[in-house]
Amino acid sequence: MIADILTGAIRSGTSVMLASQGELVSERAGVINLGTEGSMLCGALGGFAVTVWSGNPWLGTVAGGLCGLLISLIHAFLVISCGANQLATGLTIMFFGMGVTAFFGKGFVSQQIVGFNPVPIPLLSDIPYLGKILFNHDPLTYLSMLLVPMLWYLIFRTRLGIILRAAGEREEVLFASGINPRLVRYLAVLAGGFLAGIGGAQLSIAYTHSWVENMVAGRGVVAVALVIFASWKPVQAMLGAYLFGAAQALQLTVQQQGLAISPYFLFMVPYVLTLVALLIVERRKQSQTPEALGKVLAGSG
Amino acid sequence: MSQPTSIAFESKSTFLQRHSSWMIQTAAIIAPFILFGIFLTFYEVNPIELYSSMVATTFGDLYGFGEVLLKATPFILTGLAAALPAKAGLVNVGGEGQLAIGALFATWFAIFYLDQMPALIGIPIMLLAGALGGAAWASVVAVLKVKGKLNETITSVLLNYVAVFIVGFFVHGMLKDPNSFNWPFSPEISYSLRLPVINGTRLHIGFVIAIVLAVAVWFILSKTRLGYRIRVLGSNRLAAERAGMNINRMYFWVLLAAGAIAGIAGMIEIAGIEGRLRATVGTNFGYLGFLAAMMAWNNPLRLMATAFLLGMISVAGNKLEIFSGLPSSSVNILMALVLFFILGSGKLVKR
Repeated sequence: MIADILTGAIRSGTSVMLASQGELVSERAGVINLGTEGSMLCGALGGFAVTVWSGNPWLGTVAGGLCGLLISLIHAFLVISCGANQLATGLTIMFFGMGVTAFFGKGFVSQQIVGFNPVPIPLLSDIPYLGKILFNHDPLTYLSMLLVPMLWYLIFRTRLGIILRAAGEREEVLFASGINPRLVRYLAVLAGGFLAGIGGAQLSIAYTHSWVENMVAGRGVVAVALVIFASWKPVQAMLGAYLFGAAQALQLTVQQQGLAISPYFLFMVPYVLTLVALLIVERRKQSQTPEALGKVLAGSG
Repeated sequence: MSQPTSIAFESKSTFLQRHSSWMIQTAAIIAPFILFGIFLTFYEVNPIELYSSMVATTFGDLYGFGEVLLKATPFILTGLAAALPAKAGLVNVGGEGQLAIGALFATWFAIFYLDQMPALIGIPIMLLAGALGGAAWASVVAVLKVKGKLNETITSVLLNYVAVFIVGFFVHGMLKDPNSFNWPFSPEISYSLRLPVINGTRLHIGFVIAIVLAVAVWFILSKTRLGYRIRVLGSNRLAAERAGMNINRMYFWVLLAAGAIAGIAGMIEIAGIEGRLRATVGTNFGYLGFLAAMMAWNNPLRLMATAFLLGMISVAGNKLEIFSGLPSSSVNILMALVLFFILGSGKLVKR
């Protein structure tokens, strides 16, 4: 049963994890994007639609990422070029994503796809206990696991990472060294949107194999919250996402075991857990917030 | 924008600054309608026909006008729930959940305690119950903000999802109608608790309540000492702190008041329209109210106008579905476009 929950944690946490890694990049550059929810929705629908048309889930994944990127472009433009309030803009994009996907998604509700299915990795998946939990997933999940250390290296060990972080901490420094901080922010937000789109596509192509209106159900918002929970560190964000996934997997397991707990309480658990996690972390530290972001969160951005 | 670098970036904006701000505001409202019109032509809908029928239905007869006001009522209230905290520098997006919990409290009271009550006593108690529910739900956000230092935007959105599940829990359980053949909704509330309706329309006195509250919030914000303090807090937190205000206490009570107003919107949905609680009560009303407040630059008086406009668009959405087969949610795209333009033009307008 515990192995089931852990496997499910990774399976249902991957979409949130991808989105939170993307949001992390964006927030490191000083832009908080609640539109992640909208990017995920558009990625889920775009990815699903292209998979239906082409039959190729890889093409669908790329399409999902591009849809997410396009949506985040609106956020980047309004926030960086027009100086709009980041939180309000993100919410509007979330609402926009719901409207657009409800509109274009109507014809896809009953469609079926093959999509991605779990591929056990030879040898590794035979390791007792761990093999089943870690090495029996769909290809996107493996890729997302590889992404985390890569992103960590990129952010903390390369020049590119320093530029990214400088955009979120001290844009004057970047400006002085001849790099346009706005350009860095644009690229960071777009990268974030792309990853959120892929996260959404993972949800529809690999996890549920279907499109349902508003299927992202707050995962994008959770991803934003997890980045704060993770103090803007990729590995912690991954763990947070799997924690969210575990809370969701718990639902299914409890239902399968036939325990008499109202499903509605179980539905709440992942969201409440996210809030509690945020609260615990926020009580411990304050200083690691990227400076530009701190202003937004305090209400003057 | 205090960084030295920003000067170099913003030299372009002088051209637009020469235009008076009202022109930009008007353009920001009109442009999305044009854009959405172009979008509609791809789906073989004539936008001019749609927009003119929108105006015709609204102002054609009393019934149509009443329908628009009816739609606008919850938007005014959830809009106030966003506008009031915005004046204090808070972004409350919890209207959605606060409305749902308000509806839950109101229905609970109506079914278990007020079934035999005459309207004159029952309806006010039900209204208070709704306000209490909304305030209780907002108090979670408020406590997390004040005690936990958590950003209210993120917590209030997350709590919206939780609120919907709570309502779901009750309509599938304790509040479920025993005669509903397993449909998840509450029994109907007593007929005496229904809000009185204006003859010839479906419009109920909930609309009057919304208008009174909007004017009251405007009055408090712009004419009283309390409102002045809220505005100071919103425009310059540091100054408010230096002036010795208890910021956390202000945040707390402003959020609670906002929640109470959204909760009243929930009560009005139950007593004025639905007559019973469903899990889908007021879906998107919170977000649309937030939108209406943004469009009105968080001014309660202008909010009545923007809520009216959103009411018109909502009614048009239903027509769109009936006449052209496009889903009624298409108008959500229009609404989001409107807000994009408002947000984009925000820094160009001097407030």
